[in-house]
Amino acid sequence: MRMEGTFEVGAPRERVWRCITDPTLMVACIPGCEEIAPVDARRYRARVLVEVGPVKARFNLVVEVVEELPFERVASVTRGEEGTRASILSAENMVILAEIGPALTEVRYSSDVSVTGRLAKYGLGMMKKRVDRLGVEFAERFRERIAAGATSA
Amino acid sequence: MSALAHLHRPATIEEAVRLLAAGDGERVRLLAGGATLVAMMNAELVDPAELVSLAAIAELRGIRALADGGLRIGAMTRHRETAAEARLAGAAAVLREAAARIANPVVRNMGTIGGSIAFADPAADYPPALVAADAAVEIAGRRGRRQVPAREFFVDWFATALAPGEMVTAVLLAPPAPGRGSYDKLCRVSGDFAIASVALSVAWRDGACERVGLAVGGCGPRPLHLDEADALLRSGRLGEAAARRAGELLAAAADPLEDVRASAAYRRRVIPRMVERAVAQARAQLEANR
Ligand SMILES: Cc1cc2nc3c(=O)[nH]c(=O)nc-3n(C[C@H](O)[C@H](O)[C@H](O)COP(=O)(O)OP(=O)(O)OC[C@H]3O[C@@H](n4cnc5c(N)ncnc54)[C@H](O)[C@@H]3O)c2cc1C
Repeated sequence: MRMEGTFEVGAPRERVWRCITDPTLMVACIPGCEEIAPVDARRYRARVLVEVGPVKARFNLVVEVVEELPFERVASVTRGEEGTRASILSAENMVILAEIGPALTEVRYSSDVSVTGRLAKYGLGMMKKRVDRLGVEFAERFRERIAAGATSA
Repeated sequence: MSALAHLHRPATIEEAVRLLAAGDGERVRLLAGGATLVAMMNAELVDPAELVSLAAIAELRGIRALADGGLRIGAMTRHRETAAEARLAGAAAVLREAAARIANPVVRNMGTIGGSIAFADPAADYPPALVAADAAVEIAGRRGRRQVPAREFFVDWFATALAPGEMVTAVLLAPPAPGRGSYDKLCRVSGDFAIASVALSVAWRDGACERVGLAVGGCGPRPLHLDEADALLRSGRLGEAAARRAGELLAAAADPLEDVRASAAYRRRVIPRMVERAVAQARAQLEANR
């Protein structure tokens, strides 16, 4: 399942870069993300809650940065599973930042996600719709954070 | 799979709500017909520690007439009962027809209207029928009862206006009006969930349309309904041009899935055809009655 999207943020690229590489800010922006903690220089541990109707799934994930080109792009892989319930998730992610103006940055993200186990029994079509919407929610929260930071700075 | 869930059998709605409120939405779950919930437990999608069976609550059972002539369908009413209810006639027949098209006799003997709408499967048959009929959903919670129009009850994929700790107690319908209610379901094989469905409820008097409700199922996160389409059909007296325009509007507003049943594009294509057919049938009946 592939998810991708693009959104613009009214801030310089360097600032956007610092934000997307700041775990505490990311926790606040990723829908369902309850915790992110660095493991080492390249890896983070994250806990994410996914809710679809009556089903709730809490994933323990490890995100590993596999390629980083400061201010421009970061590629990562995500692996993890639900505590006891044997759904396994893996994803290859890419975030690319493009400078559109001195205070305008385009964020392009894509992720190839695969889920196996109990959650895969849910229709994938609906999962994709959900995930696409999470992307939109993420963009909104991210923009709000940056705007809030911009006024207090 | 973990240990067997503890089963409660409260005798009143208040007691059921109290038991439900003690959980966090995951640990304690309501058990109606079990057609969906038990399958989900078997698939390890949910794993409740406590189940609150609604089977012993008399108030939730059966269909009865209200003082104003409207109908109250208790949450535990089985699909089979609703499918056989003679009072669901005229404009309200849309609900009876939808019930008759759910799955197969086994599921219709098990499943309940409360369980179906609380689960809010986007391909389920009751949601568009209730939206077309402009029914209301009665809800009970710790703070008492409230009513929500069906048009506001369905919120998203598998999401409703129910707050944590609340349950569906009944579906309420306005007094049955002369007219026509129809439910058309397109599916791969009889008994399957809908690829797309069209629910139409028309109330008429003296050859004029008084109320039109049109809703499409299976083509978005919630039943697709547009006031504009209803108004067009009413003012256009179910005419061909109005039907075509209503179908186009609904197809444009649809947000269908791509799944094992059909592609999103296919679903968008069948909506106008199904709408036109349903409206043409209603028009024929309206003209025959004149
Ligand atoms: C093989 C199969 C085929 C099916 N095909 C169709 C079909 O073609 N069309 C269609 O519309 N449906 C179909 N269904 C679904 C069927 O209609 C179910 O009966 C219905 O979705 C759930 O009703 P239930 O009474 O069995 O609820 P349950 O399985 O007992 O509960 C379902 C969910 O709703 C909650 N719940 C139950 N009652 C209430 C209440 N009063 N208030 C709040 N929450 C409540 C439960 O906690 C649970 O989360 C099918 C089901 C099966 C198993």
